[in-house]
Amino acid sequence: MSLNFYRRIAFGLSPQDELPQEPLSWALNQLNTVPDFLWKGSIPTEKELRKKYGEWVYGDREVLRKKFKNDKNAYRKAKDQLRIETGERYFELNEHAIRHYQTKYGTQPVFERFWLFWGNHFAISEKDFLAEFSTGPYQREVIRPNMLKTFEDMVQAVTTSWCMIHHLDNSESVGPNSKRGVESRDTINENHARELLELHTVSPRAGYTQEDVIQLAYIMTGWSHKWSRKTLETGDVWFDQEKHQKGEKIVLGKKYKNDAKRELAKVIHDLATHPMCIKFVSTKLCRHFISDEPTEEMINPVIEAWNKSNGNLIEIHKAVVTQAFKYNDTSHKFHPPEIWLMQLSRMFDLNTPLSAEKMNYAFKSKPTGRQGQLSWILREIGNSPYRAKQPNGWSDFEVDWVSPELLLRRFWFASVELPYLLKPQNRSHGFILRCLKNNFEDHENMASLIHQFRFGTTDKDLGRQYGIICNLPGVLKV
Amino acid sequence: MNCTRRNFLIGGSTTLFLSGFFPKISFASMQKKNLIIISLRGGMDGLTAIPVIGDKRLKKLRKKLILEDVLKLNSDFGLHPKLEIFHQLWNQDKAAFVHATNIPYTGRSHFDGQNLMETGAHIPYKEKTGWLGRGLLASDIVGKGLAISLPMPLLLRGVPQNNNFFPSPDFVETKLIDRIYDEFKGDHNALIKSTLDTIRQRPLSMQIATDSEDRKKLALEAAKQLKDQSGPRVAVFELDGFDTHAAQGGVDGAHADELEEVNEIVKILYENLGSAFDNTLILTLTEFGRTIKQNGGYGTEHGYGSAILMAGGLLKKSQVYTDWPGLKKKELFEGRDLNSTIDSRAVYNSAMSICFNKDPEFLRREVFWGDDLPNLTEDLFKI
Repeated sequence: MSLNFYRRIAFGLSPQDELPQEPLSWALNQLNTVPDFLWKGSIPTEKELRKKYGEWVYGDREVLRKKFKNDKNAYRKAKDQLRIETGERYFELNEHAIRHYQTKYGTQPVFERFWLFWGNHFAISEKDFLAEFSTGPYQREVIRPNMLKTFEDMVQAVTTSWCMIHHLDNSESVGPNSKRGVESRDTINENHARELLELHTVSPRAGYTQEDVIQLAYIMTGWSHKWSRKTLETGDVWFDQEKHQKGEKIVLGKKYKNDAKRELAKVIHDLATHPMCIKFVSTKLCRHFISDEPTEEMINPVIEAWNKSNGNLIEIHKAVVTQAFKYNDTSHKFHPPEIWLMQLSRMFDLNTPLSAEKMNYAFKSKPTGRQGQLSWILREIGNSPYRAKQPNGWSDFEVDWVSPELLLRRFWFASVELPYLLKPQNRSHGFILRCLKNNFEDHENMASLIHQFRFGTTDKDLGRQYGIICNLPGVLKV
Repeated sequence: MNCTRRNFLIGGSTTLFLSGFFPKISFASMQKKNLIIISLRGGMDGLTAIPVIGDKRLKKLRKKLILEDVLKLNSDFGLHPKLEIFHQLWNQDKAAFVHATNIPYTGRSHFDGQNLMETGAHIPYKEKTGWLGRGLLASDIVGKGLAISLPMPLLLRGVPQNNNFFPSPDFVETKLIDRIYDEFKGDHNALIKSTLDTIRQRPLSMQIATDSEDRKKLALEAAKQLKDQSGPRVAVFELDGFDTHAAQGGVDGAHADELEEVNEIVKILYENLGSAFDNTLILTLTEFGRTIKQNGGYGTEHGYGSAILMAGGLLKKSQVYTDWPGLKKKELFEGRDLNSTIDSRAVYNSAMSICFNKDPEFLRREVFWGDDLPNLTEDLFKI
């Protein structure tokens, strides 16, 4: 087994990490518990951040727009001040720091890779102010605690989370025969129902029809945010009986009798245990960790583990790791930019994210350039994690990540920005060689490519060394 | 602009034409023709962009989404006021629209739909290349595709050596790339290797650093590249955000904001391509249109038929080209969507035929598996 296993399922080995004696059991043992967050700075709750979200939209929409309706410049100024007071410019940066601190220093990095996977499977794409206030805490509080439970539990939690309900417009969905529907002649919004089928569970290969989407949307009517004049759309999720479509519903051939809020849990149970769902999600897991085009031999043991454990995520994760181990030396996997950055940060002990102390924010002025640095880098390398363009999240296919500009941005980061992130004591050629030895069998060949720059210690010299090393085929891929 | 060997040869032979050695071939045929596609992801609402005038049923079903004032095109159709440049070009016979058109896909999934609008196929995820990439390859035009986006769109895949343009914040020493280039060996590294090839062969004019968040700058740079006789012949722009399930709006609102972005790109291209605009076709592409009826959130749901917005000097005339299916309940697709009466792939096939100087029959076979796509070149474009 080659050393790249530690990057295939985690982030490589840091200078402080010991080389595991038994790589497979080292990895499997990381999946039984949910590790605490190591971040020493502030970790606000989802509820606190939603309150901030509310203050921001209320302040802007209900107060400032009315107050300054005839003075564009004064409006802009007041709005900037409100951004500062509500942390609109800050919380996403803090979330990136929490996330990257965990992948850099975490003692269960394999668990963290699965956390990233599920956050992207149940993706929240760039919409309204979700990236600013909600996607980070959603991944911490909705995705993460469910990673020891069943896939069905995860789908239940995600589907009724405020973040997903808002993301996919379910609050706007009204059953036409419900009390509200009859009064207002409002009707359903299919967005959430469609993505629950297509992206989160059974996938289009299950062969559902437009009528199935409509029927599922009927079941989902009523699940919405509680609206009030002060909190606007940021109230807790509840089941609003007055919006719920009455009567029997049929999804994928199965009847669901009129049962108000209990209908949703029943249909999610059937979707999350559907054979097409199991196949679709198992394939996606193998694609993420093993190969763009996983074979049936790779996927089948994951499906078996799923069936045997009734969808227990610990067992599913273990099966994926076992398969990744088995195929480690015979399959290749290209990593998207954020995971590549996390690996560089861990392997070369980069000075990112910023310390908790320096990330501290007083809500009195704009976040500093240093506080925004990690988020800026993520954006520039094309992979700002909470800002996927669409609800299907970030791609797991190499071909979506290889273009001249996307590769150039990796060259840019490694050769121009990375030297600023090296700790003072690590600015030597000897340090690179040690890190390479920890992580790569062919470290001698890699070292020979930067041999001529070995005496340089300026940013430019180091940029040449890291610019080459970080973009070698064995670093971009495992 | 950089003078490559190829450029020099073209320049040389043009002189021969001008001096009368080959009188039968006009100078115009030597001009590079540009095909520009703007992808509108999320499902562009054809009835918002090109509203049908005075339809009572539409007014009834879309109470909150009706446009109060539209730019007039003809007695039947108007134009969304944010698409102002198209109106200006319409008056010069340089803008036209195909209405009630779509790819032959009725599934209403964004991701399947976007995959099919790019591959031009019938089964989602089956084909790994885009119709535009295959069209270029079939026409022996290699290394002339340019994407104005960070990833390489599926639409352009299938022909090697495409470029994209979305500059990073600072320069990268090309020596770095040269140094690692030989390390990329084996089949599994072929894609990265060929992409590094493309980077190494980029013209100097593309090696700039700028703010890529600024779409206007990107469109301006793209126009410069396209204007260059030896530059790209095909460009792909990417816009998203057309999926307006809520607060879609009318003259202003979520859909209007997106249309304004299309307008901005076309305007910059028009103003900066100069005379090259006369040898250019700009066409939009989307996965589906939207429902006739507004939904519970004053937005619209995923539908079927949409419209193609077109601009450029290679258009035959200003027109709304359509076989209008009507908006009565029984005329709608599944009783809810504008129907599609023109396979939009026929429009794209015909456009490639014009811009790549290839027989549409040939392209239909090579690119679209011989699917039944009528030749629309005479109806839509200058031949």
